[in-house]
Amino acid sequence: GRRPPPPLLLSRPLSDVTGPQFWNREDSPHGRYSHMKRGDVVREAVIVALANPEERANTALFAGPLPPGATYLGAGTSLADFDVQELNEVQQPNVLFMCPSCPNAAEMLPAMLAAVPSLEWVHARSAGIDFVSSPELAQSDKKVVLTNAKGQFSSTLAEYTMMACSYFAKDLPRLMRQKRARNWEKYDVEELRGKTMGIVGYGDIGRACAKLADVYGMRIVALRRNPHLCAGDPLCDAVYGADKDSLNRLMAESDYVVCSAPSTVETKGMVDAAAFAAAKRGLVFINLGRGPVVDEDALIAALGEGRLRGAALDVFTTEPLPTGSALWDLDNVLLSPHNMDQTSTFMHEATEFFVNENLPRYILGETLLNPVDKVLGY
Amino acid sequence: LPFAAGLVIPLWFPFATAFSDANRHFSAGSKSTSVLFGGYDVAMRGKFWNRENSKRKNGYSGPVIREARILALADKDDPDNIDLYNGELPEGARLLGVGTRVSDFYIGTFDEPNVLFVSSATAREPLLELLKKFPTICWIHSRSAGVDFLISDFLASSEALLTNAKGMFSSTLAEYSMMACSYFAKDLPRLMRQKDVTAWQKYNVLELRGATFGIVGYGDIGRACAKLAKAYDMRVVALRRHPVKSMSDPYCDKVVGVNQLNELMAESDYILVAAPLTEATRGMIGTTQLSAAKEGAVIINVGRGPVVDEEALTAALAPTGKLKGAALDVTAVEPLPQHSLIWEMENVLLSPHSMDRTATFMRESTIFFIEENLPRFMRGTELYNPVDKVA
Repeated sequence: GRRPPPPLLLSRPLSDVTGPQFWNREDSPHGRYSHMKRGDVVREAVIVALANPEERANTALFAGPLPPGATYLGAGTSLADFDVQELNEVQQPNVLFMCPSCPNAAEMLPAMLAAVPSLEWVHARSAGIDFVSSPELAQSDKKVVLTNAKGQFSSTLAEYTMMACSYFAKDLPRLMRQKRARNWEKYDVEELRGKTMGIVGYGDIGRACAKLADVYGMRIVALRRNPHLCAGDPLCDAVYGADKDSLNRLMAESDYVVCSAPSTVETKGMVDAAAFAAAKRGLVFINLGRGPVVDEDALIAALGEGRLRGAALDVFTTEPLPTGSALWDLDNVLLSPHNMDQTSTFMHEATEFFVNENLPRYILGETLLNPVDKVLGY
Repeated sequence: LPFAAGLVIPLWFPFATAFSDANRHFSAGSKSTSVLFGGYDVAMRGKFWNRENSKRKNGYSGPVIREARILALADKDDPDNIDLYNGELPEGARLLGVGTRVSDFYIGTFDEPNVLFVSSATAREPLLELLKKFPTICWIHSRSAGVDFLISDFLASSEALLTNAKGMFSSTLAEYSMMACSYFAKDLPRLMRQKDVTAWQKYNVLELRGATFGIVGYGDIGRACAKLAKAYDMRVVALRRHPVKSMSDPYCDKVVGVNQLNELMAESDYILVAAPLTEATRGMIGTTQLSAAKEGAVIINVGRGPVVDEEALTAALAPTGKLKGAALDVTAVEPLPQHSLIWEMENVLLSPHSMDRTATFMRESTIFFIEENLPRFMRGTELYNPVDKVA
């Protein structure tokens, strides 16, 4: 008879967030599985998707071709879209592909997992998994492994980060005002070189920012839950843990702070009034992680009173940003609609990552990339 | 033999001893900015200073063999020259006078000034007069990188050595250049328009990663930009008069000569103009070159305005033209005349020739003269940053 499928390998100890089991679009090898054969299959993958079935970004999954050993059943945005009985009796899907395009994803996911117990692997197409995080998920069946798209979007966001720093260093708003007024007036600009960049949440995106900031000659201070994981990281001049005192110290030392932390129970409201009060005068604050990590009212207050030179914000507590928010009217805010990683192909590439990299690994019985801790939330 | 004269080897001896420096691996104070020089300049004619990478106060030793008697063609109230006027000059150096016109200098030929420090913008004529009046002047140092403002035929034919502030401003301009690329890649103008009307509208952005960065005039500024562009994972195509000098430059994917300018234009998504202004480079980017450009290309000019034919540029920036936009820190005429069309062009990022202007940059340049080149002059050691007066 057939060998029982190997256990799903989750090599990451829950506190470890760096290492070869994480994918980075720029650095990790691509296409290693393009020569997979039928005979290599160790475990069949039967896939359902919680996603908008019309979404073109998922073409690599919906239309294929898929690796040998993979079968795709279909997509829906609620349990009602699936014939659950047939799924359980006939196909017994074991893989769930999860997209932010599925509304009410945080409720749908546990419901789906409860209704279809054969599911053992959920892959989220995005990096942020706060859209599916919930206490129900945290408590759900331990055997269900969750992976995500960590490392897909980092370099684009790093480009945005350096642009945001230079936007304030060269005083781009002043350039534009002067141009509108036909005013040819020289003024001094600042260099990024020699300045300090503080990174709150030193994950893949944080590291991509550090890589660029380093070449610019900036000093880098990283803050993360497990500072020991940065031992030997040549990019960081200093590494702090995620306690309040350390955060305040980082705010006091940095000229530019990049917030790239995920939104979890622990990080909610982490950058608060006390942190802004500790900030170096003239600090530039950049948020490209998740809005809820920052206390938005405290941020607005700090901007209004001139403690911060300015802010570049790609993410907000509520998105779309309500028209009544004071952020729209602050001159020293560079505001973008959570699209600074949105290239024309980024979502296609994220789906391709699932199809070309993680799906083969599942089928071959190899360790899955980008494991997510359901309890920690990232 | 005309060259083997005494202790003083003429400083303009063209193939000097710096060849061994060509492969030196600099590691400046910063952990990251060590620069690989392997093959950068296969036959370096002299050492070139780079503010980020060159080691300070090294490379000169030995006894002082001559005094430096300095005239400063400069504004006596210029605070950026304070280290020259009031500071301690190295032993053996004296400042004889400061002024912007020949009549400002109350000295005679018997004082035998041998060094001329130039920071005055109106230096061209007074410089000629001073050279004629004081034939003992054998070294002229310009506080700025560009020397087009003081070049003349007489200067070119004189025997005095000319040095400049090459390498002083490069990294600041490189930061600006990458910002200019991102300005168009992330469509910053659109972000600002949307913010003005409180519109939350997602749109696709472009990555610099994988795009091609073409550099016209691969000198110190070009190289500083290439270093950053490479960190962004862009493809770098560099153009210079002597491509062989950059053949093994790790920052360049391709190095071309001046006759391949159109090829560079056709391949590049972002074109950086960093060439100095000379007879050869005036108007080198004109209608032909701009029509060879990729659709949607961006031009960034940090060199000198007249290198680009401004009329051709404005045509190429029009909706019917090929360019997506331009970032101009320099223009044909500065200040930009009020009637220029450029003021109105939405797709131009305009700055008043100030993107290298930090609060300290000119003062740092004066300090470079005092701490680096002056001691070298007095010891008969080769000076940094020799300028080819003829080119």
